[in-house]
Amino acid sequence: MTVRLLPFGPAAWLLEVEVGGDVLATATALARSEAVNEVVPGACTVLVHLAPGGDYDAIGRHLLELVARAEGRVVDDRSHVVELAVTYDGEDLAAVADACSLTTAEVISRHTNATYRAAFCGFAPGFAYLTGLDPALELPRRPTPRTRLAAGSVAIAAGYSAVYPTASPGGWHLIGHTDAVLFAADRDPPALIAPGTTVHFVPT
Amino acid sequence: MSALEIVDAGWSTTIQDAGRSGYAAIGVPPSGALDGPTRDLLRRLVGNPPDAAVLETAGRLRLRAIGPCTIALSSELAPRAVNDGEIVAVDPARDELWGYLAARGGIDVPPVLGSRSHDTLSGLGPPTLAAEQRLPIGPDPGTPVIVDQAAVVGAGARRATVWPGPRLDWFAADALQQLVTTDWTVSADVSRVGVRLDGPPLRRVVDGELPSEGLVTGAIQVPPDGRPVVVLADHPTTGGYPVIAVVDPACVRIVAQRRPGSSLRFSVPTLHP
Repeated sequence: MTVRLLPFGPAAWLLEVEVGGDVLATATALARSEAVNEVVPGACTVLVHLAPGGDYDAIGRHLLELVARAEGRVVDDRSHVVELAVTYDGEDLAAVADACSLTTAEVISRHTNATYRAAFCGFAPGFAYLTGLDPALELPRRPTPRTRLAAGSVAIAAGYSAVYPTASPGGWHLIGHTDAVLFAADRDPPALIAPGTTVHFVPT
Repeated sequence: MSALEIVDAGWSTTIQDAGRSGYAAIGVPPSGALDGPTRDLLRRLVGNPPDAAVLETAGRLRLRAIGPCTIALSSELAPRAVNDGEIVAVDPARDELWGYLAARGGIDVPPVLGSRSHDTLSGLGPPTLAAEQRLPIGPDPGTPVIVDQAAVVGAGARRATVWPGPRLDWFAADALQQLVTTDWTVSADVSRVGVRLDGPPLRRVVDGELPSEGLVTGAIQVPPDGRPVVVLADHPTTGGYPVIAVVDPACVRIVAQRRPGSSLRFSVPTLHP
């Protein structure tokens, strides 16, 4: 697996994993190093916040060695599975069906029959980008984002599915909602879905 | 226990400490004082531990002391005693955008995910402040106050050191040179999330959106319109705009403290030895 090392200021490195490479296994391998404070997975990258001290370039080489050494041996954990009960009543459900040349029943069954995996988070605490969406449901984001949508909104866009953890603005297509609490600061762990979590949507 | 009662919550006032680390992978922004060195200086002036919380404001914050306390303001940079009932005005120092108040004992609200910082992006942390609210001051730390007056920490500085970023190859060959030779103007679009700069657009040679990747505080993102945005403490943890350069952590306070309409310069150490 080829990994590119990209500079990200004096206290971080960005490691870009080749297409098809395992970003989460790379993140797991890197997080074990004492030179590393925190890792942040992205779609194709792992951002590495460095612990203070040490030579920047030498640490970069050390990170590449860690990834090379871990290759094929770090199997990331797929045991964390979350099932989310979804009511498919989203405002955009009919428009999504239209845009994908499907019936709404077909949109629901295609969204339900896939197995998803959280690739990375962002946008808001507990907002996970879920890979595994049926290619027939791939749509770009809405041209104009909504200024406010409800917590628990189940949405699709840009080849991902996601659940909005809190009421917020948002540009994705709304297909349903869940009552599950995606993020609670006083819960351990706070995020219901973290990078690596397997997700199933179950229609109510 | 002493407290500070809010008479006027002022502009964009929040409670901030050293920030919330360790949760970026689940989308939690770092938060913390925009001007970290000033927060750290004030907390040392009043003898507080490193993680003590302060008040951060864009101005007009007015407080009433409930019981006696010792405070330090970024506009004074010296500790002083405040009597019960006394009104304290918190405003930014001259030529700065954000002002700070530290109280001996710290602003003692319950931490959320290990931090007392309010995150303006997600609302995490202590809620937004309102008039008549009482902010408890923590117990006296029992430490000696060893510095009684401090040198100004580069107030009014307008040049920030930057390091070449991860996505230079998304930009025209001369874009980094342009970044460090342009006299940028801080736009009116400033917040705890980021600062947008006005100037000649930085030309990109790769269009479209980058697959989302992690961000650090001080990253200079360039959206398709070519106007750079320096992301600050409440930035989302991942983003889809290419990062051309990263402001040195020690210089992030310089960017954060520039007022809208003022100028800002960048320099790259390797290009200007």
